[in-house]
Amino acid sequence: MAPPLLQVLLDGLFAGAAYALMAAGMALILGVVKVVNLSHGAFFTLGAYVAYALAERGIGSPIAAAPLAAGIAFAFGVFLGKSFVNPVRSHPFALTVGTLAFALLFEQAAQIVWGPHPLSIGAQAPWIGPGGLVLRRWGVIAFLSSAALLGGLKWVLSARPGLPLRLIAEDEEIACSLGMDVETIRYLTFGGACAMAAAAGALLSPSGAVTPTMGRAPLLLSLVVVIVAGMDSVAAIFLLSIGLGILGNACAWFLSPQWSYVALLAAVCLLLSARPAGIVALAGRRD
Amino acid sequence: MTVDSGPLLRLPRILIGSAALFLSLSSPVFFAAPCVAAGSSDTLKIGVLAPLSGPYAAGGTSFAQAATLAVEQANAEGGVSGQRVTIVVGDTQGRVDVAKTEALRLVSREKVSALVGAYLSEETVGVMEVAAAERMVLIVPVAATAEITDKVRQEYDRYRYVFRVGYSLPQWAERIAAFLSDRNVARYAFVGAGIRWNLELGETLERIAAPRGITPVYTAFYSPGNPAFDTVAVAAAAASPDIVILADPGRNSVSFLKRLRETAPTLPALSIGGALGDARLAASVPLSAPVYVQAAAWRGVSPAATAYVELYEHRYGAPPVGYSDTLPYDAVTVLVAAWRKAGSVESAVVVPVLERGAFPGVAGTYRFDAAHQALWGSGPGALQGTFLRWERGGARIVFPSPPTVH
Repeated sequence: MAPPLLQVLLDGLFAGAAYALMAAGMALILGVVKVVNLSHGAFFTLGAYVAYALAERGIGSPIAAAPLAAGIAFAFGVFLGKSFVNPVRSHPFALTVGTLAFALLFEQAAQIVWGPHPLSIGAQAPWIGPGGLVLRRWGVIAFLSSAALLGGLKWVLSARPGLPLRLIAEDEEIACSLGMDVETIRYLTFGGACAMAAAAGALLSPSGAVTPTMGRAPLLLSLVVVIVAGMDSVAAIFLLSIGLGILGNACAWFLSPQWSYVALLAAVCLLLSARPAGIVALAGRRD
Repeated sequence: MTVDSGPLLRLPRILIGSAALFLSLSSPVFFAAPCVAAGSSDTLKIGVLAPLSGPYAAGGTSFAQAATLAVEQANAEGGVSGQRVTIVVGDTQGRVDVAKTEALRLVSREKVSALVGAYLSEETVGVMEVAAAERMVLIVPVAATAEITDKVRQEYDRYRYVFRVGYSLPQWAERIAAFLSDRNVARYAFVGAGIRWNLELGETLERIAAPRGITPVYTAFYSPGNPAFDTVAVAAAAASPDIVILADPGRNSVSFLKRLRETAPTLPALSIGGALGDARLAASVPLSAPVYVQAAAWRGVSPAATAYVELYEHRYGAPPVGYSDTLPYDAVTVLVAAWRKAGSVESAVVVPVLERGAFPGVAGTYRFDAAHQALWGSGPGALQGTFLRWERGGARIVFPSPPTVH
């Protein structure tokens, strides 16, 4: 067995990667659509249930479930974006409450369809790394997926295809005056971000129980990450997520498991009170 | 090109407000479930208090389903003096304040004749006050804190309406210690959700197991809302126990056990609190080492238990977990039997009947001691409960030794 502390820190890295996976989509919605999307966790849950439904039919691989979950969530997200988010966008508070209502509606629907009892997908054995380190499969998948997803996002945002997104994030009026179809880009972005959340839910589904409310905790953590990191620094989202994951596990190890979440949020509050503009400004990368 | 982050930087205030709104709106009030049934004037109502939403919704739903089944069974046997029995369910949401409010609603508005519940110890202690104030019989199925029976013992006149069919913490610890001894366990790790009965059970088990030479080598509790599974699993395995006792009645049980299996695939685990009595969950956990579950009753323990399991499975499509469903079923069964024996639902008449009578249920025959605690243990006439081990294809009873089938 590997040194326990090393194992705990490695697990923290994996947990942080899971936060990053959620935060990527959340950042997109915040930046481009400018909506606090409280239904993001519901799409995470949807992805997990899709993975469960496939596992029930003998397709147990979450990697196989992720594209299907993403496709379904994209369709739902586009529908939601077009029918609700775009028309109500001028009333941010109503919009936020609306996304919350959708999240609660989804939770209730999931409870009706699948019941309140936790469901579970069979977890595959972990890989054993050097020195007996346990490499949890879902953790490795989360790490690689979040790195790829955020790397891809960074590339898109910094390259020509991402120009409309950056422009809309900066000034919608200019984007409109340049002939961009802002409305369409907005709801497609919303759908794409929902797809990311659902893919994350599918990929991480074997790590725990699948329940109607399982998306709440990752939603809050991804909100925290995006608040601190902002949309315009994808690397900051990734690094902050990893840092929070490791910090949470380190606090659980050195203090108490019951204090890890509190310590994590306290660290974020301290950071925000010291640097309200977030860590990107801290590094001097915000304009 | 640089991006003006001004609009983005203005978002945190909205975010924080929205997050606060989310937290408050996603609280129990939003999930309040309507009552399940309303009886007419010729029916007797039992108020059932269970968390139908929140982190313990699964257990609470099983609780309400089992109570429903017990009432249906009672009505099939003729009800009480020709009157039908119905239940009215109050959703406690796992919160003390809501549990008390719901108990008051059931008593004052729904006019129930007795209460069954609640689920968590914290909730139940709150509901006890309502039962005492209203002088109404309260049957406690699963809440295990010593405070419940201590209050009955210390302030009998006020709390004499409260009876517990589930095991008390010392009884529970004694059963676990007996099982550990049977498995030749000398060192155990005790982990679980940081809720009241767990904290108290951990301490009680340490005290009761010590004379048998069984000691804890690691104890930790995680936050039910955002549990630090990884750290607890790694630390528990690093302490090299013979077994990990997982005390969690909620959805986190299976998540933690998966982490434990990844960390220490050959370390046995004992689940208490009922969650891993669910065959669907157990099927998703690697059985590279034994997974034991403690239950109040299980298929094959007795003809009554087998009949109950088959009835439950037929009605709800999945077998009971043997704890958060079986004990509420027995709570309602005991209450109805007491009403029948008393020929009345008046608390003043029913309490002496409950104190002196013997009431058959799924887990055995219930008798109450002076503190109104059902007798669980290894002595003659006591309810024993059971321990089973999950294997491919189902569960096998391992302790106490299963009865020989003829």
